[in-house]
Amino acid sequence: MGDVLLILIISAIVASAIAKIVIEKRKGNKCIGCPHSQTSGCGCGCIHSKLRTNKI
Amino acid sequence: MKVALTGNPNSGKTSLFNAITGKIEHVGNWAGVTIEKKEGEIKRSLSGRDTFITSVDLPGAYSMSPFTSEENITKDYIKNENPDVIINVVDASNLSRSLFFTTQLLELGIPVVVALNKSDLNKKKQTVINVVELSQKLGCPVVETVSSGNNNGMEKLISSVVAVKYKKQSSPFDSSGVNIADKREVEASDRKRFELVKNIVSEVEHRQVRSSRQTRQDAVDRVLAHKWFGVLIFAVVMWGVFSISQTYLGPLVADTFVGWIDSFRGWVDGLIGKGVSPVLSSILLDGIIGGVGAVVGFLPLIMVLFFLLALLEDCGYMARVAVVMDMFFKRVGLSGKSIIPMIIGTGCAIPGVMATRTIKNERQRRTTAMLTPFMPCGAKLPVIALFAGVFFNDSAWVGTSMYFVGIALIIVGALLVVRITGEKNAKSYFIMELPEYKFPSIKRAVMEMLSRAEAFVIKAGTVILLCNTVVQIMQTFNWKLQIVAQGAEETSILASIASPVAILLIPLGFGVWQLVAAAITGFIAKENVVGTLAVVYGITNFIDTEELALVEGATDVASVMGLSSVAALAYLMFNLFTPPCFAAIGAMNAELDNKKWLWGGIAFQLGMGYFVAFFTYQIGTLITTGALGNGLLPGLIAICAMVGYVIYLMRVRKSIPSIKIGLSG
Repeated sequence: MGDVLLILIISAIVASAIAKIVIEKRKGNKCIGCPHSQTSGCGCGCIHSKLRTNKI
Repeated sequence: MKVALTGNPNSGKTSLFNAITGKIEHVGNWAGVTIEKKEGEIKRSLSGRDTFITSVDLPGAYSMSPFTSEENITKDYIKNENPDVIINVVDASNLSRSLFFTTQLLELGIPVVVALNKSDLNKKKQTVINVVELSQKLGCPVVETVSSGNNNGMEKLISSVVAVKYKKQSSPFDSSGVNIADKREVEASDRKRFELVKNIVSEVEHRQVRSSRQTRQDAVDRVLAHKWFGVLIFAVVMWGVFSISQTYLGPLVADTFVGWIDSFRGWVDGLIGKGVSPVLSSILLDGIIGGVGAVVGFLPLIMVLFFLLALLEDCGYMARVAVVMDMFFKRVGLSGKSIIPMIIGTGCAIPGVMATRTIKNERQRRTTAMLTPFMPCGAKLPVIALFAGVFFNDSAWVGTSMYFVGIALIIVGALLVVRITGEKNAKSYFIMELPEYKFPSIKRAVMEMLSRAEAFVIKAGTVILLCNTVVQIMQTFNWKLQIVAQGAEETSILASIASPVAILLIPLGFGVWQLVAAAITGFIAKENVVGTLAVVYGITNFIDTEELALVEGATDVASVMGLSSVAALAYLMFNLFTPPCFAAIGAMNAELDNKKWLWGGIAFQLGMGYFVAFFTYQIGTLITTGALGNGLLPGLIAICAMVGYVIYLMRVRKSIPSIKIGLSG
């Protein structure tokens, strides 16, 4: 019983960590937890594509 | 309702954006910090309960005729996105320069409100601006604001914004008839515009201090921004910062903090009891809590360090450092602007690499993006703190020297790139407006510190936690998924992956699988080096030495790792100066926009890390023991191969004949 509980706790911790990473990635964060590393609000890299367009 | 915030670089737009939205976007005391637009809702306490206003912070621009890529973003946004109102942030202490852009904005027909920012600096200089007269001359509301510190004038500013919505905007200057394809016509129009601005300023501004007079600030600048004294002073300042953060104040707070982490671990251990599987218990206690705890234990040191760096930046000192370093960087073929990404890179390499896009010359931009990760970023600080604490008695010179080694590698790297690409060193001019010295804002430094701390904890609770869990599992099991017996750890999955790489690192003094495993996980996030070392050596904290009683047969962390001080320094350098984390490599990929440059850059970083670690270990061992270290010959062969390849690349470039095209009429 203790083992099952422990597996559940570890799984919950790992799942929460993965969920947080996925959320941050969707927000456009290139580096999870690094402040000021967001590319753009939409997370689609549109600023990059815009810059490239301008360069052309 | 949509409001665009625009103005000259370093006029305080992002500070004002933070003040009206309540956001904590990164601000810097120099031009070029904002390179992308940022959106936020203006606080309801300012806009009114029923009014929803979106504010867009745009990169700084000097004119509507874009010269740089970030100026393009500003121009495109204003012309294409049709904001309802423009807040033109004007540096009140530099009115004549700022109003050129203002008059261009007024011509667009979009209602403009001028925020006369940094008004507090004018009061200090006894400069008076007649706001009412300026407003009449420009034909738009002008509001005095102070966006740093007290946030004065924000209510008035936002109420003015709401009031001018849908109103027609007049302009004191009309350039609609100018043919923009005709350079002479444009220049003549600009001269007229300058004349108008000059007249307006002469009528509304009354200065006590003339700009031609030498001030006390100029005298201080002559020392702080001096070519050689400036470097010395920077070294002393950084040494002071590391002393406070890693020798005195930081460890004092950290001791208490790691005590809490240990208590928590003990509490969980007691809660689990003895009746559960030791493997599961070990994953939770050693992998998750131990590994993450070891990294988080450095949080107080990092917080103190970032607090001090924020103070230095806010008081205006870091802008002087930029000027000092620029003198060296320009000589080795880097752009004058290269220093900005590198200073930003001391926080995190990703925004640093992204900031290189402001550099126009392609080779200089790519070289800067490739070399920026050599500056030790925030993620590398726990690694520095660990090795400085464990092997060098918390000495401040370790951290300080890592910054200078990083700068030296940047200079060497830039020189090599110039030689390899064969491109002539284009003269570039770096014009940077030095901010006024001021007493730094404690509030801003605290906010910056808390923002970094939050980021650090999020990273520890996500990426580092996952990595440590995986590392713990990989060292618990072998490839047959059997539990590894005590004393046979080298049969584990982790050891079998790391051991072949370890052979290559014997000449660097740390050819053991545990250290190699930590270095490999460091490519996911550099803090992982600390977390993985904690997991593989079973050390739950590196700060409170009493805890070491748990490690059988060892008297200190150094003997647990089995490293000499010299090998530890080589290992530290290897981790700092080999390629950065994958996320930063991703940013490099985006900015370099060329696979050859990307792979060349990664190979160069790997080579430099190996080179520096090899010579540190071999020379250091010779000095300290009188004999050379292990693996000298294979190491020398590897180094010679690398150097030979670089020379080959230079020769290949030289041997390509240049083609001259003659045009005859």
